[in-house]
Amino acid sequence: MGRPVKRQCREGSPGLVWGEKGEAKAMNEMSEFAREMSSLRKNLLGSGVMFCFSGYMTEDVLAGVREALRDKLILEEASKTTIRSVISLFVELAQNVVRYSAEREAREDVEPVLDLRYGVMTMGRDQGRYFVACGNLITAADADRLSRELTHIASLNADELKALYRKILKGDAPEGSKGAGVGLVEIARRSSEAILFDFSEESEDRTFFVLKAFV
Amino acid sequence: MDAFHIPGGRRTPEITFDPVTHCHSLAGESFPEDTASFYEPVFDWLEAYLKDVPAGQTVAFNIAVPYFNSSSAKILMDLFSLLEETSEGGAEIVVNWLYDADDEATLEYGEEFAEEVSAFTFNMVARSD
Repeated sequence: MGRPVKRQCREGSPGLVWGEKGEAKAMNEMSEFAREMSSLRKNLLGSGVMFCFSGYMTEDVLAGVREALRDKLILEEASKTTIRSVISLFVELAQNVVRYSAEREAREDVEPVLDLRYGVMTMGRDQGRYFVACGNLITAADADRLSRELTHIASLNADELKALYRKILKGDAPEGSKGAGVGLVEIARRSSEAILFDFSEESEDRTFFVLKAFV
Repeated sequence: MDAFHIPGGRRTPEITFDPVTHCHSLAGESFPEDTASFYEPVFDWLEAYLKDVPAGQTVAFNIAVPYFNSSSAKILMDLFSLLEETSEGGAEIVVNWLYDADDEATLEYGEEFAEEVSAFTFNMVARSD
């Protein structure tokens, strides 16, 4: 394995000499990589993150991660109600990424159609409660709509949220919504404290959207 | 009319409708990739079946859905609205909402649906291991 390399000293790395087959170089790079991964892991664990994902979210990824999170919560002996709420938040946020992420790679001339949507998701525990969060790019039009809807939802108390939930379930889905339009209300209802959300404009037609909910 | 059956999937419940016994069931978690497409044939069958149910006939739906996402909640609400209409035609509709005895969340979701129902019987049925 490995092509022969010229014997040479690496500047600034006294004592580290490339071997005939590059083993020392490989080891050096490997340990740098291990340090990076280790520090990523430590940073995440330090913030209470139990699950972190940055990549293309699909319905199959969602279903698999959902099972892992459920099993983890069962092992932690969380109550069924807590598990139901965390899972519910995870699914609603992940389906939001799958449906609305504007960071997208798609091909419609193949069967089945390829449609990948990029997003970041985390789930974890800090200050005695669980959190679930997502972040993804959305279009300016979706940003306007989401901002309006979330600002309204955030102003409602539990009874008002329940009334809105019921109203949406009994009525028609809002225009431009591929689900029932009820996902955001469900997120706010399952969150044990006020949901956090923010928008930051990345370009004329792309806004980075983040949402965090708690159980 | 033929019976209707969809086996359960990773994200979808098992659905069995029996036009002979008039005893129907929906069991398993529901968070389909495309909720509307998944439930379209379900509603097509139900609408055809329910319009011919004779007055006075008892029709039972056993629903055991320990997890459903928000768009499936809308589907359940659509189902209960359809059953309201049907019971106004004289059929005796009974929905049994099955939940695990220690699963308060599923009980609460069921109770919220029950609040929307006035024309038929909506039972909460606790199951223990």
